[in-house]
Amino acid sequence: MTAPTLTADRLRSERLRLRLRGWRDFARRFSRRREGIVGAAIIAFFAVLAVVPELIVGPLETATTASGTRLAAPDLTHVLGTDELGRDVLNLTVHGARISMVIGLLATLVTVSIGVFIGIVAGYIGGWIDTVLMRITDFFLVLPTFVLALILAPILREIIGTSSTIAGIRMTLIVIIIVIGVTSWASTARIVRSQTLSIKERAFVDRARVIGGGSGHIMTHHVLPNVVGLIVANTVLTFAGAILTETTLSFIGLGDPFQPSWGQLLDAARSSGAPGLGAWWYFMPPGVCIVLIVLAFTLVGGALDDVLNPRLRARR
Amino acid sequence: MSERIPPSQVPPAAREDLLADDLAPAADDLTTDGDAVTDGDTATAGPPHAVGRRQWPLPKLADPDAPLLLVDNLTTYFSLEKGTVHAVDGVSFRLDHGEALGIAGESGCGKTTTALSLVQLLPRNARIVDGSMKLMGIDLAQKTENQMRRYRWREISIVFQGAMNALNPVRRVVDQLAEPIEHRLDQSPKAARKRAGELLELVGIPKRRGRAYPHELSGGMRQRAMIAMALACDPAIVIGDEPTTALDVMVQAQILELLERLRRELGLSLILITHDLSVIAETCDRVMIMYAGRVAEEGTVAEVFRNPRHPYTQKLLSAFPNIRADRRTLEVIPGSPPDLREPPPGCRFAPRCTFAMEVCSREVPPETTFAGVRVACHLYPEGGDGMPVTTPPPNAIGATAPLVPPPSDAPPLESIDEVRGA
Amino acid sequence: MTDRSDEILRLDGIAVHFPVRGGLLHTLLRRARGVIRAVDGIDLTLRRGEVLALVGESGSGKTTTGRVVVKLTRQTAGRLTFDGNDISALWGTAALRAYRRRVQLIFQDPYETINPKQTIHDFVAEPLIVNHIGTPEEREAKVLAAIEAAGLRPATEFAFRFPHELSGGQRQRVVIAGALVMDPEVIVADEPVSMLDVSIRTELLRLMLDLRDERGLTYLFITHDLSLAWVIADRIAVMYLGRILEIGPAERVIRDPHNPYTAALVSVAPTTDPPSTGERATRTILVGETPDAAHIPAGCRFSPRCPYVFDRCRVEEPPLFDVGGGQSSACWLSEGGRSLPVLPRPEPAAGTATAGKPAVAPVPSAESA
Repeated sequence: MTAPTLTADRLRSERLRLRLRGWRDFARRFSRRREGIVGAAIIAFFAVLAVVPELIVGPLETATTASGTRLAAPDLTHVLGTDELGRDVLNLTVHGARISMVIGLLATLVTVSIGVFIGIVAGYIGGWIDTVLMRITDFFLVLPTFVLALILAPILREIIGTSSTIAGIRMTLIVIIIVIGVTSWASTARIVRSQTLSIKERAFVDRARVIGGGSGHIMTHHVLPNVVGLIVANTVLTFAGAILTETTLSFIGLGDPFQPSWGQLLDAARSSGAPGLGAWWYFMPPGVCIVLIVLAFTLVGGALDDVLNPRLRARR
Repeated sequence: MSERIPPSQVPPAAREDLLADDLAPAADDLTTDGDAVTDGDTATAGPPHAVGRRQWPLPKLADPDAPLLLVDNLTTYFSLEKGTVHAVDGVSFRLDHGEALGIAGESGCGKTTTALSLVQLLPRNARIVDGSMKLMGIDLAQKTENQMRRYRWREISIVFQGAMNALNPVRRVVDQLAEPIEHRLDQSPKAARKRAGELLELVGIPKRRGRAYPHELSGGMRQRAMIAMALACDPAIVIGDEPTTALDVMVQAQILELLERLRRELGLSLILITHDLSVIAETCDRVMIMYAGRVAEEGTVAEVFRNPRHPYTQKLLSAFPNIRADRRTLEVIPGSPPDLREPPPGCRFAPRCTFAMEVCSREVPPETTFAGVRVACHLYPEGGDGMPVTTPPPNAIGATAPLVPPPSDAPPLESIDEVRGA
Repeated sequence: MTDRSDEILRLDGIAVHFPVRGGLLHTLLRRARGVIRAVDGIDLTLRRGEVLALVGESGSGKTTTGRVVVKLTRQTAGRLTFDGNDISALWGTAALRAYRRRVQLIFQDPYETINPKQTIHDFVAEPLIVNHIGTPEEREAKVLAAIEAAGLRPATEFAFRFPHELSGGQRQRVVIAGALVMDPEVIVADEPVSMLDVSIRTELLRLMLDLRDERGLTYLFITHDLSLAWVIADRIAVMYLGRILEIGPAERVIRDPHNPYTAALVSVAPTTDPPSTGERATRTILVGETPDAAHIPAGCRFSPRCPYVFDRCRVEEPPLFDVGGGQSSACWLSEGGRSLPVLPRPEPAAGTATAGKPAVAPVPSAESA
């Protein structure tokens, strides 16, 4: 039997085929889980709102372009009523989706990057590096998020300034992203480290060493792919947590009043006395949105976990 | 039989590892009337009196004249999302009182499924679709879960594969053993613990070691503990699924010797399930060779192992490295066992059989009996002389399977765990 | 007189000791609570082209020895020589690479050795990539050749599968392909077939032997199964609690063992011959189990379980004595090349508790010293 040569093209096409097949299998298994579909649909809905809010409700209303009377109850022109400045609450809520989602996304990126890196390095290399990194992690794990946020936010604002923007995102939001990232990475690091510890003992890691693989190679090619499944489910929940944290920070006044996230809206509603005045249309929409998005992420996270970390292990 | 060493020759530190019945009684330990006394923790006499032959009454419906176990055409299927696995497809056999039957075959042949069917401990996606399993005349296949409680563990019990790793790590071994005794036999905790201690001594674990936690015991000791658990309710039949896999060869010899002793002293009947033919040769009276869910050959160990008839049995025996034979007998069986979701028509071994004829892939071979051996192979038709065939017949097509089969798109099912969970 | 030139690997006095971590008190006092002497002084020579089986039960140190040879585990003492070069102190990834190209390991568990997320192709190609061997085209050719050499034909059918799509036997062939791809000279095989079905074992063993003939490989074959060693090995070394108790050509070690442990192992080696009473009676089932490596008995480490034991055994550990024909045994009874005396088996009195169990006859004191 002759061995046909494996050209680079053939290699590439095989890899592509495998990757596609992998995605198809994943999609098939994920679609079996109804709660995951529901969650994904909700996220998709809010993602659309976040990407093109103008198409749905027009530009963001400000104090000067307020379209209605103050604190008016919902009617045909303002389906969710107006706030204390006369702005349409529906308009504000839809635009708020963008801020919340963007912050959630970036904060999650920061959290997961730091957490995974530290977790894998500490877990695989061990020794004094592990001890040092874990003590640092414990430090951040124990710090109460909001206390840290309360301290960090004003300090960062002093340092960075509040008026500049990066890529259209105001500095204040960057501050929030950093704060969330800095306070949340520790639990991800812990989870990743313990998973790394158990992967480290598996035979295929030994084999990678025997053929001459160094620590860097093993961490990227063997540990990381086997940790990804765990991370993805965890990341989705981190996203929800980031949104919640941002909401809370804004609610206690550390947010940016000029770029209304849902938390901002809740804060504004509270400070304008809406609850006392019975203006439910002001605080309920952002509240419901937060609940929905967090629920959606939790559902998707659960479904992903089931799909990516099956409890079955093939054994003789 | 094994040799014993006088305790005086054993340093105290090593004595802990020695097992009760391996220490010969020191001369000054025997009292004048000949009863051996316990030397500290090591009992040396025969089985403690509480554990003897049958203590509990026979089940109400039992027929004392019927054979102990009669399995007829047992058929068990697993339902998977992608099809049905024909794990056990018409298996029949018989077990008499005091007999030891070995069920041999490789992974996927259905031997474990047969065992689980007998005690009705099949996973949820498995069902006995046909056949009967008559224990003393009572058909267990027809029993509901509630009804099975009367029989499971009390008439027929099982030591699972890898059971020695199934002990609860945070409880002492003797306590774990006492618990089912207490609940199943309605004994007081104290009586249950006493019986547990006696059972442990029966299998060769001294009282003191019984109070240890599982991780403090070696693999061999833990397997002995699992055997004790299977004996807890004094069953008539004990099924051992791979009882010596993962044990050192010396420990394996000890465990097999223990099983032999238990058989003699308790009048126990055994069903041993294993892929290791030497275990069966060592311990069993009869052997049943299974392949792909069916019986290939069944008969006394002496006849089947000396004069194997079925080509699969012949290949299996020759594949076993024999330290007493000449070297380098490395006969290879091409191909791999069939996928039981789509079993081939006719004889399931035909693709890999060097003796295969044209009829083999068309018709399922009928079972015929010669010299007390039951065999399902077209080489031994009814009315023939039934002598073992050792060279391919003139009209043989031979094996059609390649040595290493190409991978199929449906992943191979190799263990019951995969079949169970899908 | 050994011809050094055909010696490819040599272990001199290799020992691997692991400290047992004690509790807080010990950590404070910077003391280990004990030492696990997994390998306790091994001298071994591997000759080019031979299959040397390292046989031992669990706790014998055979796997650790294999790991020392491929430098996955660091030896605590002793010297390791490869092809005439002392590699005992060779550590550090770059320095080891040249060694790793020539000495490879086949692992025991085909289900765990391949990363489930890797394709077969990536698994076999990995050694070439990690060691920067060859151009991409050359690598592909080597990968395909290795996969086919392991019996998986056509290679392209198998290359892009994931491990869970293959059976156990096929996976082990993949593992072998992965070990072959760098064209090594020595392969350490750690229980390569023990997790496979009996009928698959023979084809893997046949493959390994064929590869040895085709490529001039040398094998260090680690196994607990003496029967397997019998079938495949040229020489057999029997290990117990970290030391080699007997070593020699396979025929001699199996048919004429000089060490009591080897004799016991041979007598209980499983067989499919239905037992006749006569055969059963000649089995020496040892008492108890192998003690753990933290509490190695004084004197000869096998003495507590040895049916031939006498006083000297408990005090002094015997060295390996040459008993002729390339065979050596570490036993005081083998001093001067003597064979093992036959154990007398008195006829038991029927009906006693010891019926059927022969007593141990004391070895005459003239044999000692």
